[in-house]
Amino acid sequence: GTQVKDVVIKSDAPSALLLDKHADYIAAYGSKKDDYEYTLSEYLRMSGIYWGLTVMDLMGQLTRMNQQEISDFIKSCQHDCGGISASIGHDPHVLYTLSAVQILSLYDNVNVLDVDKMVEYVRGLQQEDGSFAGDKWGEIDTRFSFCAVATLALLGRLDAINMDKAVEFVLSCMNFDGGFGCRPGSESHAGQIYCCTGFLSIAGQLHQVNADLLGWWLCERQLPSGGLNGRPEKLPDVCYSWWVLASLKIIGRIHWIDKSKLRSFILACQDEETGGFADRPGDMVDPFHTLFGVAGLSLLGEGQIKDVNPVLCMPEDVLERLGLHPDLLS
Amino acid sequence: MHGRVKLKSTAQQEEEKRKEREKKLKIYVAGRDAIFTKRLEGVLDDEALQLTQQLLSSNPDFATLWNYRREILLHLETVREEDDVQKMYEAELLFLESCLKVNPKSYGSWHHRGWVSARLPRPDWARELGLCDRCLSLDDRNFHCWDYRRMVVKMSGVPVDQELQFTDRLIGSNFSNYSSWHYRSTLLPLLHPESPDPPSPCHQHSHSSPPPSPQTHSHRVCEEQLLKAVSSVSLPFSAEREEMISCVFVSREEERVAVAFSRPVNASSSGLMLVLDGQPQRVEWRSVHPHFRHSPVWICALPPGTISDIINEHNLTVHWTEKHTHRDCALYTGRSESWCRDSATDQELFRSELSVEKTSVLQSELQSCNQLLELEPQNKWCLLTIVLLMRALDPLGYERETLSHFQTLKEVDSMRSAYYGDLCSKFMIENTILKMEYAEVRVFSLSDKNLTMLCHLDQLLLVTHINLSCNQLLRLPPQFAMLQCLEVLEADDNAIENLDGLYYLPKLQEVSLKNNQISKLSDLQLLTSCPKLTCLDLRGNPVTQIANIQSELTELLPSVTDLLI
Repeated sequence: GTQVKDVVIKSDAPSALLLDKHADYIAAYGSKKDDYEYTLSEYLRMSGIYWGLTVMDLMGQLTRMNQQEISDFIKSCQHDCGGISASIGHDPHVLYTLSAVQILSLYDNVNVLDVDKMVEYVRGLQQEDGSFAGDKWGEIDTRFSFCAVATLALLGRLDAINMDKAVEFVLSCMNFDGGFGCRPGSESHAGQIYCCTGFLSIAGQLHQVNADLLGWWLCERQLPSGGLNGRPEKLPDVCYSWWVLASLKIIGRIHWIDKSKLRSFILACQDEETGGFADRPGDMVDPFHTLFGVAGLSLLGEGQIKDVNPVLCMPEDVLERLGLHPDLLS
Repeated sequence: MHGRVKLKSTAQQEEEKRKEREKKLKIYVAGRDAIFTKRLEGVLDDEALQLTQQLLSSNPDFATLWNYRREILLHLETVREEDDVQKMYEAELLFLESCLKVNPKSYGSWHHRGWVSARLPRPDWARELGLCDRCLSLDDRNFHCWDYRRMVVKMSGVPVDQELQFTDRLIGSNFSNYSSWHYRSTLLPLLHPESPDPPSPCHQHSHSSPPPSPQTHSHRVCEEQLLKAVSSVSLPFSAEREEMISCVFVSREEERVAVAFSRPVNASSSGLMLVLDGQPQRVEWRSVHPHFRHSPVWICALPPGTISDIINEHNLTVHWTEKHTHRDCALYTGRSESWCRDSATDQELFRSELSVEKTSVLQSELQSCNQLLELEPQNKWCLLTIVLLMRALDPLGYERETLSHFQTLKEVDSMRSAYYGDLCSKFMIENTILKMEYAEVRVFSLSDKNLTMLCHLDQLLLVTHINLSCNQLLRLPPQFAMLQCLEVLEADDNAIENLDGLYYLPKLQEVSLKNNQISKLSDLQLLTSCPKLTCLDLRGNPVTQIANIQSELTELLPSVTDLLI
């Protein structure tokens, strides 16, 4: 026989959606500021806040979070160069600049920041070959191409960069299997594929994707347990219910995975005791996997959850307000 | 955040854990605060290096600390001799190695190592390559390490065939070797840049590697065969297709020109020019559906009266100036319409032209896959590889076997049955297009072919009659609007609930949609955009059960005189 790396879902795994428990989990998360894990993850705090707020908004519970406190926090994270850091005292980076703009878009409050400076910061990260560095230290990654255009799209300032060159670089990261990696020559990975298809959607260049080939690679991520992995021979992980599923939605092939088996897997990743989702059944929960579990369910058509936009991972009604409708292949 | 199992523990165990974490936290916070204080004060000293080292050892994702270290190292570069700088950075590499041992997947550690390697007065790329060898021997799927290796190879000029041999060794010894196959797919084109046949990742490998050991799972062998088929057949094809205007159609009655391209284009940025009887025309190009800024089919209207008189002969040329290509179309006296279509493209429409050598390679691969299939009739990798190879060799000749294999695939890999349904639909549509005789480009039947979706609609610009009946279609997608000549549509016995594609079809007269899933009046709204529509058959749709539907439809579509509900 053939051995496939996968998990086995126990018969007593959760099978009902426990939205209230998840809202309670997120609302309480971070209130105990003396938690070890919480402190160690300070380097990504801005993204952590984005994960928490977005999942609360998708569950219709955004009002339970402290808007003023968060706004003040974000303001104090903008640096002179215009970029935003993950937390106070940390250095600016395009990852956290996007998260900050996403958060403030939820609150329709982007103007607490110096937007022009922020646009300049993003523009300054673009390299001659069209790629984007994450910050002044020069790491190149297609994730940062996505962060750059997503940030500018939310601000209505896509004209600030050289889009043709940016597209050229992202396309140079397309592989033999139709997928995308971090840099030219890098192996295809679902997270990078999400970033690149999201990028191409915002750039209006989705027709450059080989949708049938990439769609096949993506639907091959589904394992017998129903869960999705991020690339061949890896274990399933609930966050891939987002990266893979959103990518499939963007390229118009979400019907190529078995939706009901995926739904069962995602639900099994819930923790009935603490609320929240873990990467796989039985593991420890965190806000990251909680967002992507809920967002994945939204893409699968879960009635109790608001519609999520597959390109920006934000509630559709927020993007509606901003007039943002990134392309999707049909 | 990943792979942390939730363990049950007693109250006492919980309390002990809590105390320990509290202690660790205190130390960590003290370290962090000390670092931040020094940084704010602009201090760039050894103590800062030590403090950051302690924290990064257990938390290498704390990116700001790597930044601070770089600031200190850069400063120290300015006040130390070259030999000391060399020693300083070598010590940094040693520190990084210990970090990578603990966490080989930290973006921050790998980036910092790359940064250090670039600043070393005398870099030792052989050592870096050795580090990659060791790291990959522990985990040959670590993409951070592969990316770092690619950088080292580039900086130090490691020859391509040496790297290919490296992948050979890994592939021969390890099951989980997708990363190696991927690397090969990028290396082989570098070996043969002029080759007309793009090499597949496995091309060299089959000659140089040992035969698979008895332990090699056969699914692994076939999975690799599939990667080979995918890379050597699918991807190169899309890159190879000649860019051209495939068809020009002109109609006196609507005074329109429709143009089909070999790939989606954006007319406004492509330099499209229409010349009529030697005179450039000022026209506005629009894509067939507002959904598409990039489309393979574009339409424009000629100034009224320019071609409407059937007595006059006209010569039309469409220029695609961006690609330095054009197509002519002559509209003769007495003819109400005309077109120009390149029949020579038929055989290369959906697959690459194969050289004799390549054909022979694919045939022997097909043979070995078929042998494996006899031993394992339910091996999906095998089935899919066989299907792809047959498509590349003889799509029409192998149609029967292809359909049979798809049936098996849907059974043995039911999670992906929707994929197989769509892929099979695509192949059946391709075969039907290939069978279209040159003379009979206007009547097209796809009925009873198990179709789950429609594609290649850009090839059907000239079609006047289309039969889609008895399939499993859910909708007529926006791309359906590319059927600009369509007069009669038969689409009975499907599951159609969406008619997005029936958008401004100027010649559409008859539409039959019996036994579908049209359920709301609004689903039929778009039909008002089709000016010639007179016959509409909606029998067997849920919408016909709505109260007053007859009068609602008459009001919505007054020109439809022949309405069947």
